[in-house]
Amino acid sequence: MKKLIGIVGSNSKKSTNRQLLKYMKKRYSEIDEIELVEVSGLPIFVKTEDMEIPMQAERMLEKIKKADGVIVATPEYDHSIPAILSSALAWLSYGVHPFLDKPVMITGASFGNLGASRAQAQLRQILDSPEIKARVMPSSEFLLSNSLKAFNNNGFLTDTQQVKWLDSLVADFNEFINISTQLTNTHKDDETNLNDFSGDEGANNKEVIN
Amino acid sequence: MRLVAIAGSIGKTSYNRMLLEFMVKKYKNLVEIELVDISELPVFTQDNDLSDSVAIQNVYQKVFSADGVILATPEHNHTVPAAMKNMIEWLSYKLHPFTGKPVWIVGASYYDQGSSRAQLHLKQILESPGVNAFVMPSNEFLLSNAKSAFDEDGNLKDTRTIKFLDSIIEKFLHYVKVIDLLDTPDPRTSEDEDLDAKNPVNTTIENVNMKSDEWVENASLKVHAVDGSTYVKLDRGILTVNQINYFLNSMPMELTYADDNNQFIYYNHNVPDSKMLAARVPRQVGSPLSQVHPERAFNHVKKVIHALRNGTELVGMPVSGNNNDIHVMHYYKAMRDENGRYRGVNEWVLDIMPIIKYYLSVTGQKLVKDEQVDKISPIFGLDVITGASVKNNESTDSFKSASKHENDETKNNSITESEIGIEIGKLLNSGGNIATEGVQPEGVKRSNQQLSKEVNVENSSDNDVDVVSGASEN
Repeated sequence: MKKLIGIVGSNSKKSTNRQLLKYMKKRYSEIDEIELVEVSGLPIFVKTEDMEIPMQAERMLEKIKKADGVIVATPEYDHSIPAILSSALAWLSYGVHPFLDKPVMITGASFGNLGASRAQAQLRQILDSPEIKARVMPSSEFLLSNSLKAFNNNGFLTDTQQVKWLDSLVADFNEFINISTQLTNTHKDDETNLNDFSGDEGANNKEVIN
Repeated sequence: MRLVAIAGSIGKTSYNRMLLEFMVKKYKNLVEIELVDISELPVFTQDNDLSDSVAIQNVYQKVFSADGVILATPEHNHTVPAAMKNMIEWLSYKLHPFTGKPVWIVGASYYDQGSSRAQLHLKQILESPGVNAFVMPSNEFLLSNAKSAFDEDGNLKDTRTIKFLDSIIEKFLHYVKVIDLLDTPDPRTSEDEDLDAKNPVNTTIENVNMKSDEWVENASLKVHAVDGSTYVKLDRGILTVNQINYFLNSMPMELTYADDNNQFIYYNHNVPDSKMLAARVPRQVGSPLSQVHPERAFNHVKKVIHALRNGTELVGMPVSGNNNDIHVMHYYKAMRDENGRYRGVNEWVLDIMPIIKYYLSVTGQKLVKDEQVDKISPIFGLDVITGASVKNNESTDSFKSASKHENDETKNNSITESEIGIEIGKLLNSGGNIATEGVQPEGVKRSNQQLSKEVNVENSSDNDVDVVSGASEN
């Protein structure tokens, strides 16, 4: 049994991305223990005096550190991930590195036809940045389009094709987590580098405050 | 031209803000750039729409009213800062100030990359359908190693970098003008002029019913129009809104503004319609021109507007029913912006007889018939449309040449007074005189004869002239 964290990338009460993660939590409860965490409530990222991060981010940090893998479910706002999810990732890479070499699977749900495709592509680049350095599962898009109509009243995905594809992806993700534990050669160097890394703009405030 | 500049990082120290501050200073003689702060914006959520909050309205108004926007982005995790994205989410949800707006992206970063990837993300974001900005292509400005790029006074140190920035801002100012052209209505022929005002321009207040009697009130709410004692900066001067009203309402003529979308958006309302030479009532303002003209006048309205839109500066025409005591003229003047783009018609209506009478009285002269005069058409500013000579009785709905030199036929055929009379009469009968039918409210329409009579009574212009000339003799 693997322990996974499912990050709900939207702060909307009616989020279909939350619905998707809840569905996954239920459906895969025999192979994975999925715990949902919310980005809703986090402040917009801003550099702080002593690189302190909000309590909510601190709690997320601890959960991600302990988890075997992370699923990020993102909607698409203006062809990219929501500011609130971007903010969460900024807090979670501000002097802390819970994502370093952490296996990550990206899913996305959108009301329209494209299923957050462009947001997912950007999210992939973001998670690959030197401050985050997650191990995003390659070739594994899950785009849930027309998400308002995708679930029935009990919260089940109704499209059997989609369900089958999701089953395969989750099975692959579990394998990917296993494989990732063997990719350890760069981990030590990365950790050292990240601890010295001062970010692009005042991530380390000591350098910019006169 | 006025630009706003927004720094994407909201931290206490930001090299992107420094870069923008430097640009404000450096280019102050070239263009006005206002820095807009986004650090106080609430977190975007669909659950609690704060589009009408002061903080968001503030940024919205600035972006909306700017000719162009400069966005300076650092790079956080290969993307734009959440604060920048948060601002864009608010301004692409219920409000859409970026639609069609020219945007220039710059960026400063600590290291060599100079925010290259964040700039690409930002470009994608700005081009999404909810935002719909016009991001300037190419011309990337990436300021790398920002920590050592500025001197103590906040000036960029490297002269080559400054020179490069100089060249891009020049291009951006051109780009702003070019993008403005995309929005410019360009009907091919006068028949294509849309009197229903269905092609909004960048000044059109959208989603407000143009035909409503309360258009002014509704549209004002929509854009938070200022009024009363708020100052407005003009070229050249500063007036409060009240002062602008005093000024326009005391103009010795009736003024009407129809914009480049052919929407009637203003008149100087200082007397009731019964006392106006060309009657208008307050509830008409906001209407498309098709609503305030009778259908039979549409063709002629279209011809005048099309001429103005395409380079004619001034069209003038008398109303019918003019006599020795009153000579009411309608003038249509093209209004153009600093780029030469047509922005609407300024119509003014006035009786020119008091001026003539004053002149005669002051100089001790009188009007006599001139048998040798080289007569011109009473309507000027419109090119000959059918090419028919003025003697051609078939040319019932042709406007005659404005200039006595530009058409040989006109020049060679001296026009007798009676012929002109016939021509004007025909124009009027065929619904051709835009002047008299101008913008008339339903229910207050009346014949031109009636209008002239009323005006005569109102004016008693002989007395006016006496008073004026008497005063000048003292």
